[in-house]
Amino acid sequence: MSKSIISYGVYLPYLRIKRDEFLSALGSCSAAMKEKTVMDIDEDVTTMAVEAARNALAGLDISRVGVLTLASTNFPYQEKEMAGTMVEALGLSNNVLSAQHANSTMSGTQAILSALGLMDQNDQPYALVVVSDAPTSAAHVDLENGFGAGACAFVLAKDEPGLAYEGVFGYSTEAMGLRYRLPGETDMRDIGVKAYATQDYNETVKAAVSGLMEKTGRKLADYNHVILHQSDAKTAAALAKKMGCTEEQTKGGQVFAQLGDTGAGAPLLALCRVLDVAANGDHILVCSYGSGSGSQALSFKLEKSLVAQTNKPMQAALEYKKYISYVQYLKLKRSI
Amino acid sequence: MGAHISIPMYQRAVPQRYRLIGQRCQSCGRINFPPKAVCKYCLQGTTFENVQLSGKGTIYSYTIIAGGGAPPEFAAEARCKGSYPVAIIQLEEGPRVIAQVVNPPEEGITIGMPVRAVFRKIYEEEGVTRYGFKFSPA
Repeated sequence: MSKSIISYGVYLPYLRIKRDEFLSALGSCSAAMKEKTVMDIDEDVTTMAVEAARNALAGLDISRVGVLTLASTNFPYQEKEMAGTMVEALGLSNNVLSAQHANSTMSGTQAILSALGLMDQNDQPYALVVVSDAPTSAAHVDLENGFGAGACAFVLAKDEPGLAYEGVFGYSTEAMGLRYRLPGETDMRDIGVKAYATQDYNETVKAAVSGLMEKTGRKLADYNHVILHQSDAKTAAALAKKMGCTEEQTKGGQVFAQLGDTGAGAPLLALCRVLDVAANGDHILVCSYGSGSGSQALSFKLEKSLVAQTNKPMQAALEYKKYISYVQYLKLKRSI
Repeated sequence: MGAHISIPMYQRAVPQRYRLIGQRCQSCGRINFPPKAVCKYCLQGTTFENVQLSGKGTIYSYTIIAGGGAPPEFAAEARCKGSYPVAIIQLEEGPRVIAQVVNPPEEGITIGMPVRAVFRKIYEEEGVTRYGFKFSPA
């Protein structure tokens, strides 16, 4: 049985803050985005997830969705079946197999993989995967400067042409002290050794990508689009270059500059950006990374244009925006 | 005191608050939203069929809540924004509903402006988030 993504949807908060606002207010900014998305006071991971899912489901028979998987590092509840809110907000059948993936920025690709597996457990043709994230920390935490927000959703279908799933290679290893959060704490911690963080990212992501190449018998050059998890401005691009990727292969999936660090959403919002412009026959590689550490490299082939592509949903979401000041930003974060 | 709604009451209204489920009166055919025990139009119908509303409508009337005018559950929002708009929305299926307007245009809200329903946090109480609809410029 073949499985493909047949539809995708995006939701980005309307509010944005430019990096210049950080520079003029604080004198520095720890992240090198141009601007980033900021949730409004009445938004959270669930509201963004619902909007992205509604966009992905538009025009489809939602009664045929039998699987619902969610991913975020920042669900509004530590314990609660969040899929329940989604089912009622979207009007899905209550008879869904649900799974929630959290605790790591890898959870986005995990949610896709678990949906692919759960689809074999019932007769419904569709699965809905929703990745929504908004990493947060208090304003005084260095890492916080780059944290953005956003959501994307994918409808997977059995035996229907679209973005065909071809395979995955996963890699996990122990890496201590990199971007971690303890129970009950809201602030992200990190031992703050950039060289160590970059080395771990490079080794982990490279292992997943190399493993996938070996498994599929392909070379990186065979891919029209290579998406490596972006949690900052340069690390992913530098690694892609080191692995021999051309700018042509990586430019389609650049999202950090506009969104900031979208946590679990990062590689999949990048995929949405690529889907806006991808052509039939394109091979696409998507690789996630989670500190601590792990990586999953997924291979796709665009066999048939997706209906959503005509509207360029990611492009439209990027263009619908309003800039706010750093003071408004602090108010929205409830810091002042 | 704000407009306190208990969890059981809110829970019963989830289909209308989360995804705008209205009811078509079997007697006169008009659509009631929110659902009623007796049709508010013909005052006779007591049997209904559920209808999924589109969430599309226009601004019928609006007001700006500011300067301490917000009920307690919206006080944080009023403090953060300075003020926020509340509108009566004329839905395309007929009913009118009261809701907040998000992302209002720079030049202000106008009567007749097209809007669409969006899913937002309405307020939080007892650590339980109340989700529901607001409206955004279409």
